[in-house]
Amino acid sequence: MTTDSDSSRQVVVRLEGVHKDYGDAKALDGVSLEIRAGEAVAVMGPSGCGKSTLLNMVAGLDRPTSGTVRVHGEDLGRLNETGLALFRRRHVGMIFQFFNLIDDLPALDNVALAAQLTGTSARQARRRALELLDELGIAGRKDTYPAALSGGERQRVAVARALMNRPALLLADEPTGALDSRSGEQVMDLLIDLNQIGQTLLIVTHDPHLATRCASRLIEVADGRVARESTLEPTA
Amino acid sequence: MSAVWRASRAAVKRRRLQTFVIGLVVLCSTTTVLLALGLLAAASAPFDRAFDEQRGAHTVAAFDPAKASPEQLVRTARRPGVEAAAGPFGQTVLEMPDDWLWMSAGSLGVVGRADPNGPVDRIRLLEGRWATAPGEIVVNWPVDGTPGPGRLGTRLEPRGAPPLTVVGFATSMSKSAGAWVSPEQMARMHPTTAQMLYRFTNAATERELRTGLTTATAGLPAGSLGTAQSYLTLKRAFSAQADAYLPFMTLFGVLGLLVSVLIVGNVVSGAVVSGHRHIGVLKSLGFTPNQVVAVYLTMVSVPALIGCVLGVVSGNAVAGPLLRVAFSGVETGSASVGVSRWPSVVCLLGMPALVAVAALIPAARAHRLSAARAIAAGSAPRTGRGLRVQRRLGGSRLPRAVSLGMGQPLARPARSLLTMAAIVLGVTTVTLTTGLTSTMVAYGQAGKSDGAPRIDVQAGSSARGRTAPAGSDRRTERLLRSLPGADQVTVRALTKVSLGGHTQTVFANFYRGDTRALASEIVEGRWPAGAGEAAAGPAFLHQHGVSVGDRVTVRLNGKEAPVTIVGKTMEGNAQALESTWQTLFRLDPTAQAAEYTVRLAPGADARKYIAAVKAADPSLRAALLRSDNAATTTVVGFASVFTVLLTVVAALGVFNTVLLNVRERRRDLGMLKSIGMTPRQVTVMTVSSVMVPGVIGGLLGIPPGIVAHRLVVDHVGVVAFPESMKQVWHLPQLAALVVAGVTIAVLGALVPARSAARLTIAKVLHNE
Ligand SMILES: Nc1ncnc2c1ncn2[C@@H]1O[C@H](COP(=O)(O)OP(=O)(O)O)[C@@H](O)[C@H]1O
Ligand SMILES: [Mg+2]
Repeated sequence: MTTDSDSSRQVVVRLEGVHKDYGDAKALDGVSLEIRAGEAVAVMGPSGCGKSTLLNMVAGLDRPTSGTVRVHGEDLGRLNETGLALFRRRHVGMIFQFFNLIDDLPALDNVALAAQLTGTSARQARRRALELLDELGIAGRKDTYPAALSGGERQRVAVARALMNRPALLLADEPTGALDSRSGEQVMDLLIDLNQIGQTLLIVTHDPHLATRCASRLIEVADGRVARESTLEPTA
Repeated sequence: MSAVWRASRAAVKRRRLQTFVIGLVVLCSTTTVLLALGLLAAASAPFDRAFDEQRGAHTVAAFDPAKASPEQLVRTARRPGVEAAAGPFGQTVLEMPDDWLWMSAGSLGVVGRADPNGPVDRIRLLEGRWATAPGEIVVNWPVDGTPGPGRLGTRLEPRGAPPLTVVGFATSMSKSAGAWVSPEQMARMHPTTAQMLYRFTNAATERELRTGLTTATAGLPAGSLGTAQSYLTLKRAFSAQADAYLPFMTLFGVLGLLVSVLIVGNVVSGAVVSGHRHIGVLKSLGFTPNQVVAVYLTMVSVPALIGCVLGVVSGNAVAGPLLRVAFSGVETGSASVGVSRWPSVVCLLGMPALVAVAALIPAARAHRLSAARAIAAGSAPRTGRGLRVQRRLGGSRLPRAVSLGMGQPLARPARSLLTMAAIVLGVTTVTLTTGLTSTMVAYGQAGKSDGAPRIDVQAGSSARGRTAPAGSDRRTERLLRSLPGADQVTVRALTKVSLGGHTQTVFANFYRGDTRALASEIVEGRWPAGAGEAAAGPAFLHQHGVSVGDRVTVRLNGKEAPVTIVGKTMEGNAQALESTWQTLFRLDPTAQAAEYTVRLAPGADARKYIAAVKAADPSLRAALLRSDNAATTTVVGFASVFTVLLTVVAALGVFNTVLLNVRERRRDLGMLKSIGMTPRQVTVMTVSSVMVPGVIGGLLGIPPGIVAHRLVVDHVGVVAFPESMKQVWHLPQLAALVVAGVTIAVLGALVPARSAARLTIAKVLHNE
């Protein structure tokens, strides 16, 4: 929705000199970047360049070896495990390449789960989950178990789950990587729609088509570093 | 083969914890089984060995020399069925007026024998030499080891016979006599009976022994056979105490085996299920199905073997002290009670075999699995009922972490059942042990539940024999009653008497005064009241083949008295009989009491009373009676050790299951964390997953535990528990046992739960 990285907007994510080593391997080698509210940022790069690692840093799923990660004003380095869990609950929603749904729960309960963990009653959580599934066009599949859902449907359920707690930031790690092209398109459209209504997005992908369609800004990563940053014209 | 070996090694490396659990479980149960087998072996093998070495007498018979001539007796040796015989030897009973050597005053059975060797009953000389000249005597040493040479030369002064000098100590597994003299010396002592020692071709049962003796003595004049003592009685006496421990050791052994099988089965099936992908990869690499099974068998066999070896080592280490307790006070003679080799061999071969069988069943699944299906394993459609329950749980008011956890066992019903079985066995063990402990504690408290202190008073004269003036024990009794604080006084005289039909002498306690506390120990019949009545413990009755209502003949100082067994006490020395003062009076009118038990009034000061006794009569030795009961300590001690072991093992079973579940659910866990599940919620969820199996396991484990407790308390040979001590189950205890089930489950789940809570999500998501 935006064509400029309007500096008046609030900074949601700020990474400064982030390094992440796994043993001798440097997954991230000094990454600094900013994401402002309402932006849709795509991270691209070849396999193994550190994209997922970068995303995990932002989600507080992993800690940098050095450098600072601030999200929503919160210095993640200062939070303990519980603090990080509460942070994720409040501020981020995540979607993964392989959906990561719980096989034993039907679609509706998979979505409701995210709110139930915060102590919301089952009834309330299910009601909101149903609203979200309805918005994403799969309310009819609410009682279906993941095994019986198509890939695209599963990813929508995952998106609904990520949106349950109205996160300030939606993180997606190769959200279309396991989908056929048609389902991939649909999920992409869904993300674009979300961004249109103000949802901040950080999408990791190695699909240039997805990046250029969804994102307002592109960050290219190579060997754990930001190789290039560019602002994109909306194509849609 | 080397490919199988390499793949197994890799599999073991990837499952260090499970490998460790298998090893530990096998170790614990091997120890238990080894102890039970060791006890079983010790209960008969050493006796048989020593008995055979000495060519022990199957039957020791006493004949009336007035009715059967020596020639006639010698001829019995050639009768059919007699393998070997020795004798006739002259035999008599000496009366020892004072305590002598290590023994108390009373009867001593003496046999005249020229030679300790011979075709039967080769007596082993322990110290000194055999009695050859008149005035010499060799004394039987009934227990392990030797009395040492220091006591050689002791002079014995039997009543109404010339003095004798101890020239040797010897031991006879046949217990053919309390002491031996030369035949010339015996001739001077006017033998009352003639002893024959027989070995029969068939001697496995009492019945065969009776038949053998009847055949051998068929040609003898009627009434010439007096008494006959069977070696089976001696064998029973030998193993009585060990036998008492056997039922509960066996039960614990069986429980241990069951738990091991369960755990190994559980671990292997878990490894197969969670290793589906691994199996697929192996198969696609060209492993044949048999090689895949071999990989899984090897994977568990290595830790099982190590655990088994360590279990055999630790079992052997514990067996020594256990056997010492089980055979403490038993007249072992020259039988050396030790840990035999065969239980170790059985364990070393049997346990790994058992583990292999337990592993084979689930491993067979790996055999059948097709490579493609194995690699694609994952989102298999689940069964309907489990899903409905999970659905309902999700809508319940429970915190979501709890309801998620409670739903987890439904995802893997077979594994959950195995885990529950481990908990059931754990709770069964805890039930059995708490029951045993309650029974044993009640038993230890028996007769002193009022908490009144009891004082033991010994007459100073006892060591010097009956030198005290006649009637002085009445004075002492009056004195003890008159001192302040005294409530009840029981007077006791202890002596050795001979029992009709047995060459061994037994102890007899004769009581007068207040015998209420003693009477409370009766579990069958009643406490003896008048002359000619006696009571005894179960071990005595069993070993002497008598029961309540039977009549025996007691002999002392050449006098005989018929005695009827009117009661069975809860416990008691296998060699001791309890009777009344009136009975003693018939046998020895001049007998004096040597020991008094004073029960003080509740709250009375024991120390003041003891001081008062000393002040009133310095020759009396008074001391507070402390009741520490070896049987109680032993049973409770061992039961506790086994409970700890089996509880640990059961908890390890749960541990393994939860570990597997956590492993399999890593992706779910990563996702749950990514949507904000806190570490605490992860722990709660994981622990909740074992709560329901814990509660159900607790409920199911209690009844078999109660049955097992019944079995044990009904079969402790040396103690006959009254019904009141067997009924130890009350609601609060039962509730506590259910809690025990949950505790076992939670203990097992806690560690993997904590590690699940700490799991780094990025790593999980990266690896998947
Ligand atoms: N948990 C981990 N342990 C070890 N190495 C890791 C881990 N996570 C990522 N890496 C390594 O860090 C590098 C970057 O990984 P990742 O961020 O997943 O790449 P991408 O998502 O761009 O494909 C890779 O070389 C990868 O092997
Ligand atoms: Mg990646």
